[in-house]
Amino acid sequence: MKVTVLQENLARGLSIVSRAVSPRSTLPVLANVLIATDEGRLRLSATNLEMGITCWIGAKIEEEGSTTVPARTFADLVSTLPDAQVSLTLDPRTQTLNVRSGSSTNDIKGIDAQEFPPLPVPDFDQAIQINVADFKEMVHQVAFAASTDEARPVLMGVLVKVDGETITMAAADGFRLSVRTATLSSPAARPVSAIIPARALSELARIASDGDHPIQMVLPKGRGQVVFRVKDAELVSQLIDGTFPDYEQIIPRSYKSRTLVSTASLLKACKQAEIFAREGSNAVRMNIRGSGDLQPGEVEISAHSEETGSNETIVDATVDGVPLLIAFNVKFLREVLEVIKTPHVALETTAPNAPGVIKPVGEDNFLHVIMPMHLSQ
Amino acid sequence: MPIRLLAPEVASQIAAGEVVERPASVVKELVENALDASAKNIQVIVQDAGRRLIEVADDGSGIPAEELPLAVERHATSKLASAADLFRVATLGFRGEALASIGSVSRLTLTSRVKEAPTGARIRVEGGRPGAVEVVGAPVGTVVRVEDLFYNVPARLKFLKQDVTERRAIDNLLARYALAYPHVRFRLTDGKTVSLQTTGDGDRRAILAALYGVEVAKEMLEVLAEEDDLVLNGYISPAALTRSNRREMTLFINGRWVADTALTQAILQAYHTLLMVGRYPLTALFLQIEPEEVDVNVHPAKAEVRFRNQDRVFSFVQRSVRRALLAYSPVPTLPQPQNLWRSVHSVPSVENNPLPGGALPAAGLDWTIGHDSRVEPEAHIGPVLATTPETVASSPFPARASLVSLPLLRLIGQIGATYLIAEGPDGLYLIDQHAAHERILFEKLMAQHAQQRIPAQSLLTPVVVTLPPAGAAVIADQLPVLSRFGFEVEPFGPNSFQIRAMPVLFGNADPAAALRALVEDFEEDETPLQTEIEARVAARVCKRLAVKAGQVLTPEEQRALLTDLENCESPRTCPHGRPTMIHLSVELLERQFGRKGAR
Ligand SMILES: Nc1ncnc2c1ncn2[C@@H]1O[C@H](COP(=O)(O)OP(=O)(O)OP(=O)(O)O)[C@@H](O)[C@H]1O
Ligand SMILES: [Mg+2]
Repeated sequence: MKVTVLQENLARGLSIVSRAVSPRSTLPVLANVLIATDEGRLRLSATNLEMGITCWIGAKIEEEGSTTVPARTFADLVSTLPDAQVSLTLDPRTQTLNVRSGSSTNDIKGIDAQEFPPLPVPDFDQAIQINVADFKEMVHQVAFAASTDEARPVLMGVLVKVDGETITMAAADGFRLSVRTATLSSPAARPVSAIIPARALSELARIASDGDHPIQMVLPKGRGQVVFRVKDAELVSQLIDGTFPDYEQIIPRSYKSRTLVSTASLLKACKQAEIFAREGSNAVRMNIRGSGDLQPGEVEISAHSEETGSNETIVDATVDGVPLLIAFNVKFLREVLEVIKTPHVALETTAPNAPGVIKPVGEDNFLHVIMPMHLSQ
Repeated sequence: MPIRLLAPEVASQIAAGEVVERPASVVKELVENALDASAKNIQVIVQDAGRRLIEVADDGSGIPAEELPLAVERHATSKLASAADLFRVATLGFRGEALASIGSVSRLTLTSRVKEAPTGARIRVEGGRPGAVEVVGAPVGTVVRVEDLFYNVPARLKFLKQDVTERRAIDNLLARYALAYPHVRFRLTDGKTVSLQTTGDGDRRAILAALYGVEVAKEMLEVLAEEDDLVLNGYISPAALTRSNRREMTLFINGRWVADTALTQAILQAYHTLLMVGRYPLTALFLQIEPEEVDVNVHPAKAEVRFRNQDRVFSFVQRSVRRALLAYSPVPTLPQPQNLWRSVHSVPSVENNPLPGGALPAAGLDWTIGHDSRVEPEAHIGPVLATTPETVASSPFPARASLVSLPLLRLIGQIGATYLIAEGPDGLYLIDQHAAHERILFEKLMAQHAQQRIPAQSLLTPVVVTLPPAGAAVIADQLPVLSRFGFEVEPFGPNSFQIRAMPVLFGNADPAAALRALVEDFEEDETPLQTEIEARVAARVCKRLAVKAGQVLTPEEQRALLTDLENCESPRTCPHGRPTMIHLSVELLERQFGRKGAR
């Protein structure tokens, strides 16, 4: 193999794929990136067997070939090279990759590309097309609600459902649920429902750049995998096996009071309360007081810690329904408020021990359910 | 063989003593009789922990009507003819004592029918006096009904443990026989709800799951070894799955449940170096050996045996278990740190849980820290004791003692994804991240508990968990305690519970795992003292939910752990009394590097 690439492209490509490298694996080749010539471009791939990322960069190819080299070494080296041409030459006999740029020449010991696990090469004909900006926002609004506890793998994933023109993403960690829908530009050929690791989706949201072609998604039959393609990269992820909780069941159908507040004010109140709440239980109380004839409604947010002290903030609100005192984990409140873009949010509640629902006001494509906390008196 | 009276000289050779000590011993005798009668189905009904009723029904061979009076007589058995037979007992029973003994301390009804007879027959024994045999309709097999156990022995009644404990002993016993006889269908009920049921399809792993939960059952390793006339099969836990006592080390020899033989030792030796001090594996092992090779007539309750060639059996068991173990788990190559350094405290050994620091000599090295004047006082003063769960409970929040508290530590880093290294004004600290986190969670939980402010986080959807019968009984009894800890748990069918909320402290850990953790180590003789139970509940939950060894922590997480540990009342031991840290004092380092006194 003998190719020439631009340092800038190589560095960018490596930063994209390196997130799938698994440096501590028992399989040494998984700590490497695959470098291969591929129809006039250079293909870079990395995989940790759960997720694989491939990226193509422009290259001048003099001689075809492929190898794998330690990702860390290679990326560190490339990042120090000048912004100029880099030539890569493989000695196939010793699997040593010579990396030359300007006056610097380096030999990196590699492992035969044969040992690198093959990544799927799916057919994107029937792919579902998702607008990049929509996709990024969906992931942003949903993935944080997935669990990080490996004891329940299903909850570490995001349920992705496509039915006709509608795509839905849902994630839940046992205490809260985030659901976001969007409309596809063209309807999908057949319905899809899969649990995709939240990490893979977040990674893809990072790789995809706005304004690009749509993201293409395929689920090759019987493989238990999903493959996404963005402009010049592909990401493959294992699907999570199992049954996702029936989230429709979890979403309350009605409420007893609906509280409208400014998103920014509520977020600020939560951040302040969290300073005191985080010492103990993370609990904040929300005292929702109804609007009288002359008086506007308000929500009093308070937190209390044995050690640090206490905090209390009053936020103006329009309250439609009965007054209520309810407690939530403030981290959950903050995290959802941080992903809501509309100036106002609605909090729908029923009772101190019933779930609360948070929705952006003026958009009906997102909702978030948070289970309350009980504080023994 | 018909039932007949043993010749006096044979009877006198039989290890005599109390056959019936508690309800569970009645169940054991009756179940063994059913097994001896080749039953395929054994149904046990126990009411009021066996005080009111124990009934064992089987579909075995039955007893002919004319032999019923003999069956309940002392030294009458169908299983032994001569003294020589005593040396090759192939049945579980052989003394002809059980029914007579049970009949003398209860109201016993024995109903039975053999295949050949058109009807069944029944005999009643009350306080040892048998009545007349009556003809009754009955299916083939035997039903023994024992009512009002110990009604005529008030002293015995007084010594019975709490109902929970007695019931648990019965649950345990039956589960173990079910394991040993996977081809027999067992069913245990209290007349209404079923607490144990097996299919009799020979699948031992399914029974293990019922006994220990599905996760544990999945992890158990299979043992299968044969050598000459010796066959060993069953399951053992991998070295990482252990308990704090040997109660879960089940051993059957020729279908007989035996306790506490040298073979337990052989099994433990097989785990040598793989287990932490004071930890014991879970095992369910079944040894087959020629009846001539084993003497079962040594213990009145038949709980012990003696081998003709003890060494041979011992070594066979040890090798077989070791082999099974190594086939799955690699031996750690690092030497254990406690061999090199003594821990900060020479902690007094806690009940059957000797601690590394206290138990081991300093491995011949002069690296003990006993000479270190800064640390010495801490090693022998109260605070160490105050950290065992029992005493923490009686005074959960001792005034902050400067002796136990930690100096400010500067984090250096994490090693082996298991320990943190930190520097203090007085030397180097090696901190076990799991033990340290356990301590932190424990103190936070107990502090919130003392303020009655343990907030419960409701779950999006209730989680249903099924526990082994013994564990389910414990949870059912402790629901109020659990609710004070922020667990909202409701019974949900036999042995199952629905978790609606869990303590916030545990983040997004699996609620089912948290509940299981509460009962997995359960001691049979749990003290009824409420405060102790609460401390134990807390200690157990914390153990399950603390970060594990092998978990890589970010520098922020490491620092937070250290800060939290500094804030603990008793930072130097985990809630179970093991050390959280090893301290290498400046003096020690100087001595070891020859800097001190060398000039
Ligand atoms: N469930 C049963 N099915 C058939 N026969 C039984 C059953 N239970 C008892 N017997 C008969 O009654 C006899 C007496 O039982 P018992 O349990 O008192 O003595 P054992 O089993 O012979 O010896 P051990 O005292 O060691 O148990 C047995 O030998 C057996 O013949
Ligand atoms: Mg018997």
